[in-house]
Amino acid sequence: MQNVLNGIPLWWYLVVSSALFCIGLYGTLARKNAIALLMGVELMLNAANINLLAFWRYLAPDTSGGLAFAAFVLVIAAAEAAVGLALVISVYRTTRSIDPEALDQMKL
Amino acid sequence: MTIQQVLFIIISLAVLGAALFVVTTRNLFRAALMMILTFFGVAGLFVLLEIGLFAVAQVLIYIGAISILVIFAVMLTRGMQGMVPRNAQAVAAAVTVAIVFAVLLLILGPLRVTIDLARWPVISLFAGNASPREVGGIAWTPANQPVPPMSETYIADFGRALVDLNQYLLPFLLIAFLVDVVLAGAIFIARQRRPAEVIEERRLRAEEDAEEAEAMRRAVPQPALPESAVASAADH
Repeated sequence: MQNVLNGIPLWWYLVVSSALFCIGLYGTLARKNAIALLMGVELMLNAANINLLAFWRYLAPDTSGGLAFAAFVLVIAAAEAAVGLALVISVYRTTRSIDPEALDQMKL
Repeated sequence: MTIQQVLFIIISLAVLGAALFVVTTRNLFRAALMMILTFFGVAGLFVLLEIGLFAVAQVLIYIGAISILVIFAVMLTRGMQGMVPRNAQAVAAAVTVAIVFAVLLLILGPLRVTIDLARWPVISLFAGNASPREVGGIAWTPANQPVPPMSETYIADFGRALVDLNQYLLPFLLIAFLVDVVLAGAIFIARQRRPAEVIEERRLRAEEDAEEAEAMRRAVPQPALPESAVASAADH
């Protein structure tokens, strides 16, 4: 089979990353708690990183584009986690609740 | 079965099992710890991919910073533990996610399916003379191409690419700017309010509560008092 590195074909990594992405997607859609929602988002970003780095390693390991892309995803995930959790803490201080469905003051 | 394949299967099972625990548990603290296990597993996958730089970066950033931040947030919002983990859209979300995963498997897995539209009962009326086509599988991989070896100096090349005007300097500077802004912004958002601000926030909230009570009182029609009750109250 083509694209095999040390016995591991590329599609193994892609299946694992898509499974992790789907688990993270379920966690983001089906949870009542704002912090658990952010945990699901972090799982999705990790899955994207696995995908990017697997493709980079198997197809073009002598370039730097894949590494740069994955590095930027990593940094943006960290930044977004920081801001999201700061928002959750701030909302908890004022409304004593971290249920995202309770924040509906701006609903029509 | 090479040793790398065995390791891959063990690490993937750990990653996916821990991730499932993270999204289904009621205990947020245990979810945070299992998320740390997931991140370790992902770092292991990066080691199997022979990318040591990202394995270490994963441990440093995700486990060393983000997971600690999540645990801080869990501890600071302690009052809301023990809720039902699932919201009203859980079943629909599970079904949607299963469909998404099936579609992704079809595209990314090695399975190739031949679809012959002419043999489908209703669709064949619209298909015309479409020839049977193959879907799924990774059609783009060129056959018999071995994986190119990774260069010994990939970290140095990556570093040079990040500061090269013709390559990734601009995104690098933008990301640096983003990190600065996020640092300042997160501190500002989550700051401890000064007493004057606290009093102001409490006053605003009291005003909002009073407005809401007033609106509700106007919405519900007031019952008319019977005449006898008013007369007897005026006498006594």
